[in-house]
Order: sequence, then structure tokens, then C-alpha cells
Amino acid sequence: MNSLRNLTDPHDWLYRLKQINVGLLFLICAFGGIGVAALYSAGNGNLDPWASNHIMRFGIGFAALLVVCLIDIRIWYRLSYPIYIIGLILLVIVEIKGHTGMGAQRWIDLGVMKLQPSELMKIAVVMALARYYQSIGVEDSKRLSLLIVPAILVALPVGLVLLQPDLGTALMICMAAASILFMAGVTIWLFIGGIIAVVSAIPVAWQFLHDYQKQRVLTFLEPERDPLGAGYHITQSKIAIGSGGIEGKGFLQGTQSHLNFLPEKQTDFIFTLWVEETGFMGGLLVLGLLLLIFAYGYWISFHCKHAYGRILALGLTVNFSLYAFINISMVMGLIPVVGAPLPLVSYGGTAMLASMIGFGLIICCNVYRDSKLVRM
Amino acid sequence: MGLASEHVTRKRPLSSEIRGEQSSIFDLARGRLSILSTFFIVIYIVVAARVIDLSVVQGALMKVQEASPIEQVATQSRARGQIYDRNDVLLATTLKTKSLFVDSSIIENPQAVLTELNKVIPNLPQKKTLAALSSGNRFDWIARDLTPEQQKAILMIGEPALGFQEESRRVYPQGHLASHLIGYTDVDGVGLSGLERSYNVALKKGDKPLKTTLDIRLQHAMNKELAATMEEFRAKSATGIIMNVKSGEILAGGSLPYFDSNNINAANDDQRFNRMTLGVYEMGSIFKIFSTAALLNEGSEMGRMFDARKPLRSGRFSIRDYHAEKRIMSVPEVFMHSSNIGSALMGKDLGADKMQAYYRNLGLLNKPEFSIQEIGNPLIPGTWRDINTLTGSYGHGIAVSPLQLAAAVATSVSDGTYVRPYLVEDIQKNETDVRVFTQDTVDKMRLLLRLNALEGTGKNALVAGYEIGGKTGTAEKPNPSGGYDHDKKISSFVSIFPAKDPQYLVLVLVDEPIGHPGKGSYGYATGGWVAAPAAKRIVERMVRILGIKPFATEENSDFVEPILKYIEGNDKLAHAN
Repeated sequence: MNSLRNLTDPHDWLYRLKQINVGLLFLICAFGGIGVAALYSAGNGNLDPWASNHIMRFGIGFAALLVVCLIDIRIWYRLSYPIYIIGLILLVIVEIKGHTGMGAQRWIDLGVMKLQPSELMKIAVVMALARYYQSIGVEDSKRLSLLIVPAILVALPVGLVLLQPDLGTALMICMAAASILFMAGVTIWLFIGGIIAVVSAIPVAWQFLHDYQKQRVLTFLEPERDPLGAGYHITQSKIAIGSGGIEGKGFLQGTQSHLNFLPEKQTDFIFTLWVEETGFMGGLLVLGLLLLIFAYGYWISFHCKHAYGRILALGLTVNFSLYAFINISMVMGLIPVVGAPLPLVSYGGTAMLASMIGFGLIICCNVYRDSKLVRM
Repeated sequence: MGLASEHVTRKRPLSSEIRGEQSSIFDLARGRLSILSTFFIVIYIVVAARVIDLSVVQGALMKVQEASPIEQVATQSRARGQIYDRNDVLLATTLKTKSLFVDSSIIENPQAVLTELNKVIPNLPQKKTLAALSSGNRFDWIARDLTPEQQKAILMIGEPALGFQEESRRVYPQGHLASHLIGYTDVDGVGLSGLERSYNVALKKGDKPLKTTLDIRLQHAMNKELAATMEEFRAKSATGIIMNVKSGEILAGGSLPYFDSNNINAANDDQRFNRMTLGVYEMGSIFKIFSTAALLNEGSEMGRMFDARKPLRSGRFSIRDYHAEKRIMSVPEVFMHSSNIGSALMGKDLGADKMQAYYRNLGLLNKPEFSIQEIGNPLIPGTWRDINTLTGSYGHGIAVSPLQLAAAVATSVSDGTYVRPYLVEDIQKNETDVRVFTQDTVDKMRLLLRLNALEGTGKNALVAGYEIGGKTGTAEKPNPSGGYDHDKKISSFVSIFPAKDPQYLVLVLVDEPIGHPGKGSYGYATGGWVAAPAAKRIVERMVRILGIKPFATEENSDFVEPILKYIEGNDKLAHAN
């Protein structure tokens, strides 16, 4: 409680505003702008049905970002576990009576919007782990016994997400958690052992996969196996990207996407649409923005004086980057189709809000990088 | 929470007071951060490399692969050229259709697919189709040239193994009209007969439509009359030609029974056979035009007399007349009464060499050039003996196609130079025309033909006001066992009009007509009773279609006046007119 009085400069709002990374905000807006342009194109040159909603959501998300980044980090620190628990409860609610979308229960219908708790859970897990590693010292992180709590913190949401079933999100939570544990100082041998364990567990895990998940993996390994069925998405996506060439077919001119060869063009395959129309140059623009955003997050994490901020900033950056990389890799056939949107670009309310809150927290870590956090 | 605070209590002394340790914590964290960043940069490079790989490298490869089929489609989509008649009526065109194939390597239940297909495509060959559906081949045709409705219904089946290929289907809006001349193509659009075959290369290019000399209206009129004649006389077949005497343009032509080019598979060989150009026949008396013209061209007078009182013997052959006058006759009388004996004597007078030379120049002894390739070789004696000169003068012992006959008649009445028949403008012209007859001979032939129509065997072909001239032909068909069959005839008639300066020629050939005692022919099956009325009806329809006004009255016999003096009892004739 008394930690609130230990701010470096608690009442200087001007100082805090100055600490907001305008560059990062610009990058976020640029990324969101690509999303608006791509969705405008996906709507065949119309703001409806997607681009207008995307702009609105981006605006709401941006406001949320500004609010989140200006809230004292010690409040977030204290709220970390409660948010995590709320996230868990929401996941349970989804499990009990969720709106089934696309064959999987992932939504809670709030009336105004459909909430996807697993999106929020990705942030909550990072916050909870950051809080945990702030509370113990880095030097202790090497003790295997102290892995029990993080393991539980990760296992509970992953288990619930898997029940939905949403393998992609579950894997992403695991990967984000792994990178946090790594940065927190958990011994490298654990990761090596973990990788070995995961690889050896694949045959066993295979039995528990849903048919559609098995299909996706098999199709990934051999897309030509079923070019009109499970391999259709990825085959069409590769054709579309390839047909864009260096300069693309021109904005609104993508034939594969506009002629509906490309499925889910407004959500998971938005990157494909973008590259088909803007070509290799457009693809590199997205990757360039991604690299800069990642560099910003890394820089913030690097300069943060407390473990909570360091882990939170990096965890959320990794989260965002993972999402983006997985989406882009997926549409290019580098990894199996897992159903991950491209954050800020793909059409989707919860993902947008989650990304913006995530960036809000990253910037918050910069604004309050010098805060002294009392371990609780 | 309890667990966490326990640690905090225990760790407190270590956390921040000891500077060295603090920095080591930072070092560790930052070290790990660096490793993590490196890891991400590696992923980043992989992803970026993949973007380049897909969009630039494979994209370029794809464009190369894409390019060829697109070009193919572009060239294929230039449809086979259209064929028009002289009035730009469409005779042949190409429509895009869809054909169904199966990739049976991905089919799951061939029997079920067959059941579905049966609902859409009637008369599918069941065994063959099922074999194709279950063969495991990547490509087998199921059905070709489907309608859009059928295509939609097949798409609704939702079987991924079924696919469509765009194809072209040749369509002949005029159906059977002039089908022997227009011809047809195979399913792959290769011309197999008629103009489709002879102009296959030009039509394939598709840049220019093929304009023909045909007038489909006349073709229709001719076909109707030929069909009526065929039915009336229960004939095996009938052939007709309408030709522009001056230019050699074929306005209509073909033979019955005919076929519909749209449904060539339904046509039998008899229907497909083009009797106009491919069939060769002994033409009989129409050949008297040529022997008479040759004689006159050699300087003989109209008044020259020929003794036709008794059959002409030559070796073991004996030449008789159908309607024996049994008297000595002048040239116009021989022609008018169609005396075989008289003509044979003319031929004898002319001599074998001269007759062959004239016949050759008339295009009767060689395979003629024409706009289509289905051209029959004339049958001519291997060695030309004396008897061949005799029989050749009245059209026996030599078989030519109706096309050759029409060209030779046209040559005899136009201006004496060979008239080359054609269907498409380009083949004609720039040929040094062979002069066969003098203008004087041609003028005389016009008179003889007109006289024959007025007073001889061609009365049944007269059309009031149009100065019809003409000649009958009645040839006995050769018997396969040797000799001639008296009951099987080829009855023919050639009309020219107006006789004073002929513009049009109408040729009618009827194969094996059976004379019947009813109205019309009084049991006769000769050219004058079978083919002449058909030619008359064709001309009647033709002048209405072409809007040709009558230009002379039948009473006006001034035109034939000069030769009436050579005819015995011409007073009677003059009075009759």
C-alpha cells in the first residue's frame, strides 16, 4: 500500500506524458492503418462492413491504450493476480455456456460485443508471471521448486483454452510463458529438457488432438494432400502472395482475394490480401513495422528498472510479435494453420482491444520504468 | 500470495542493498533479453525470407507457369471463323460450351456420382461412364457440349472430381441447307469436309469470316423442289446446282438426301455423300450441247444434215434413238429431238482428237479445281476408241460430276471462255481463261437451247417471260454386271435464262426416278418429265426471290427465228407459238 508514495515523480503529469513513446504510438497507428486499408480492400473498396468497424475499434482501443499507459504501474502490479483470476473465471464461463463460433467455444456474448476471454488471458498470464518474478528475485528463479507456481499459472489457462478447443492460443500462451521464464533467469537446461520433452510427447499428444487439428498438421506437412479441402486455405494463400510479385497487383486489384478464392480474407488471411495487392514491398513494410515495434518493446524492457516492468514489457512484446509471426508464417505455409489473427490488422474486436491494452501496458512500463515496486 | 510474501521476507536483504548483485541481476536479465531478441530476429529473418521467397521467387515462377495457359486460352478463345452466304446470312459459327471430365483419382463413390449424372445428362453410356468414373485416371471425358443448365445441375452435385473444360461447338444455323458445301468439323474444331475442310487454316485463325457465293434463300428453294421431285418419283437421290453463268459463282448446290451439319453423327454415308461434286455420272443427252457446239465451232452449218433413219452400228455396238424420227435431220433437229444417232454422227464427223480437246477445255476430262476438296475424278475411257467418240457425243462412256457438267454448260452459253465455278471469291480470277468456243458458236448454242425449250424436250421447263433455254438428259445407269440397265436412269435437265444472254443456270439431276401414271409424267421417267418440271419450279421461285422481272413474252419468237428454217414443218411451229 505504501508503495504508492514511493513514486519518483508522482504528481508530475507532464513528466509522465513525456514518457509515453510517441514513436511506438506512431508505429501502432501505422500498423492499424494498414489494417484499415486492407479491410477497405477486403470489402471491395467499401468501408462497410469491416473497415469502418475496424476504425471505430481502433479508436476505442487507442483510448484504452492511453488510459492504461497512464495508470500507475503499481496499480497494475497489484491488480495482476485479480485480473488473472477474472480471466480464468471468464474462461470457465465460456466453457460452461459460450457462444460457439466456427466449431469452437471461444466467445462470451456481452450484447454489445462478443468477448473472447482467451485473448485477455494472454495478457493476464504475462501480468501474473511478471508479478510472480517481481516478487521473487531473479537469482531464485533457477530453483526448480520455484517453478511450481509459474507452472500452475500457465497450466490453468492453457488447460481451459485447450478445452474450447483452441490449440493455437494455448501454444501461444505456452511460448510467451516460456520466453518470460527464460528472461526471468530460469536455467537454460530446463528449456533444453522441455524441448526434448515436448518433441517426445508429440506422438502421445497426437492422440488427443481433434480431427481438424490433425488435419491441419497433416495438411501443413503436405498441402497438396487435399488442395480443395484442408489444404485449400494455404494453397490459395500461397498462390495469392506469389501472384503479387514485387510490386503487387495494386490496391483493390487483388484478384485471388476479391474473387473469393482466398477464404477468411478479412481475418486470418488479411496479410495475404495485403501482399497480393501491395506485393513484396507491402509485405516488407508490415515486417518492418513489426521489427520496429519489437525493437521498441525490447528497448522499454531493457531500460526498465524493475523486474515486473521488464518481464511485463517483454512478455507483451513477445506476445504481440508471436501473434504476428505466427499469423504471417501460417499464411505463407511455414507453420500449420492455427487460426491466429494478425494483431491490429485482422478484423476482430477482442483481439484489437487485447493488443491495445497490451501496448498500453508496455508503454506504462516505460512511463513508470523508474518506479520502485515493493515485493509483496 | 502467502508463498510469495515468504520469499519477499527472506530475500529482502539481497534485493537492492548490494550493488554488485543488483548489477548482476540486471546483467542476467539483459543477457537473457539479448538471447531472446536474437531468437526473435532469427525468426524474423526466416519470415522475411519466406515473404521474399513466396512473392518474388515463387511468384516469378508462377507467372511463368501462368503465362502459358493464359496465352493458350487467348489464342483458343479466338473462335473459329464464321461462314456467311452472299447476303451475310450466317451459315456457320462457333459457340462456347462446357464439357465435363472426371478426375477419378479423387472420386469416392463412382456409382453414386453416376446416379447423380444420370439425372442431368440423358442417355449416358452407363458402362463406359462408370468405367471412366472408377478408372483412377486423372482425366476422362464424361460428356461434351453441355448446356448451361446441365452445367449448373452438375455443379450442384458438388463432386470435386468432376470438372469442366471450355470448348467450342460449331453451329450451323441453316441446318441441312448447303451442308455438303459448308461441311462440318470434328469435336476439336478441325474441318472434315466442305469449306470447313478446304478453308480450315483460314477459319482457324478466325480473324476474318469466310464469305461465300451461296444464296441460302435459293438453296432453300432448290432443296424444297428437289425433295418434292424425289418424293414424287420415289428417286434414290437428287442433285441441284444454281450457278451464275457469267461469273461461275455457285449460288446453291448440293444433293439429297442431305445431312444436318449440326448433328453429323446422325448422318449415314448416303446422306454425307456429296453428289454434286464427288459423284460422277454418265450424263446422257446434256452432252449433246458440247458435241454440237464443238461441231459448230469447227465451222459446220446449222443446215448440215445427219442421217438418223437407222441405228448406227460401230463394231458390236448399236446406237439407237429414244424417240426415233427415222429421217435425215439438221443440227437443230438433232438437238431438239435429242437424237443419239445424229449426235453420234456429229461426233464421228468431229473426230476423236478434236472431241477430246474440246471436252478437255470444257473441264470434263480432268478433276476440276473447286472451293472444296470433295471432288470426284471423272471416269473417262482408258484408251479413247472410235466408239468413245460416238457415245461421248451424247454423254455415254464418260462420267463427270454435276459440277463439271454445269461449268461446261455455262462455258457453252456465256462467252465461250471456260467458266470456273467457285464458292469463295479468292480462288477465282487471275487465271488465263481458256477460250473454248467462238462468240458465234455461243450465240448459236443459245438459240438451240432456247429452241429446245420451246419446241423440243424441254417444254416442261418453260417459265413464261423468262426466256428459258435448256436441255434434257436421260442416261441409263450402268449395270454392275455389265451393259446398261434400262429401268434405272439418271434424268437431268439444265436450264439457262434468259436465253438471249444467259445469266443463270439451273441444273437438276434425279437418280433412278420411277415414272408413274398419275398427273405429271404419264409414266415417263425421262429428264423432260422428271427434271425439267423441277427446274421450272426452281426458276419460278428463284426469280421471285431475286426480284427478276419478266423480260420477254413467250409469243416473241423473233429470237429463235434465224434457225426455224432448218426445222422441218416449221410453219406448224411458228403457228403454234
